[in-house]
Amino acid sequence: MSDASAEILLFQVGVNVFAAPVRDVVRIGTVRGRAAEELVTDSALGRPFSRARGIVVAASGAERTLVVDQVVGFRTVPFVDVQPLPAFAAVCIRSGALAGVVLLDEVPTPFIDLPVLLSERAALGNLAPP
Amino acid sequence: MSDKKAAFGQRLDAGPRGQEAWFFSLRILGGRYAFEAALVTEVVRLGPLTRLPSAPPFLTGVFTHRGEVMPVLDIAQLTGQGTVPVRPSTRAAIVHCGPWKVAVVSDGVEGLIAIPRRALEPAPAEASGMAEFLSGVAQDPLGAVAILDLPRLVEAARARAVPAGSAAA
Repeated sequence: MSDASAEILLFQVGVNVFAAPVRDVVRIGTVRGRAAEELVTDSALGRPFSRARGIVVAASGAERTLVVDQVVGFRTVPFVDVQPLPAFAAVCIRSGALAGVVLLDEVPTPFIDLPVLLSERAALGNLAPP
Repeated sequence: MSDKKAAFGQRLDAGPRGQEAWFFSLRILGGRYAFEAALVTEVVRLGPLTRLPSAPPFLTGVFTHRGEVMPVLDIAQLTGQGTVPVRPSTRAAIVHCGPWKVAVVSDGVEGLIAIPRRALEPAPAEASGMAEFLSGVAQDPLGAVAILDLPRLVEAARARAVPAGSAAA
């Protein structure tokens, strides 16, 4: 990410597309053969239709894998297109993982703080804390 | 005069002196609802709507309008009346309520209506659903119209939502 642009990862959970900073991603890969307790399949983003891909994120001192349906790709977007949530939405949203929105072709896409997302999930007991 | 009626009268008297009060009227799930015209900045056709994770049901999503990300508020959902269906033709009124700027989704926009002040009546004394947020009722040539206390309704929406970071969906 530079002052003028941001590197983002686009991924899909269910029918919804989300964006996240590339810097938060340790690696991306298949989830086949991974132990179920290492995987986060249910989060504030919903449940994936299939357990196709995993986004590995460092969260709360451990690596956790968010299971997604599809990794759509990477984009470089002007930093001005990464915007905070509107004030009213910000006070109404239950999850701190929604950091804002990214405007992609003028359509807002939820911008996710992956470490916070997975830490929240761990706190709810889906995944045992490290 | 009841306290409610007195308060309603005081509020109207606080506005510009005249024989008519101006409101902005929307159709929502078959009903006619209006609120202070001064709260409305413009009417827009909703662009592609993005749903937000962990959002309460009344926060339908966000869309961009002239480069600004706008939250969409479904007041029917908030008050348990149902859900306003969002279609490509759906219009919303962008309103300023204190610090909040939101797009109130509707089935249709009637626009400005003038109600003779003498025709304004206090809201029925009900404390549930949309009635909880009415400041008055009136009749105009198109029929009955309910006058919403929109700032109070928007503030109630904020208060009902769980603070950010307190839980995940």
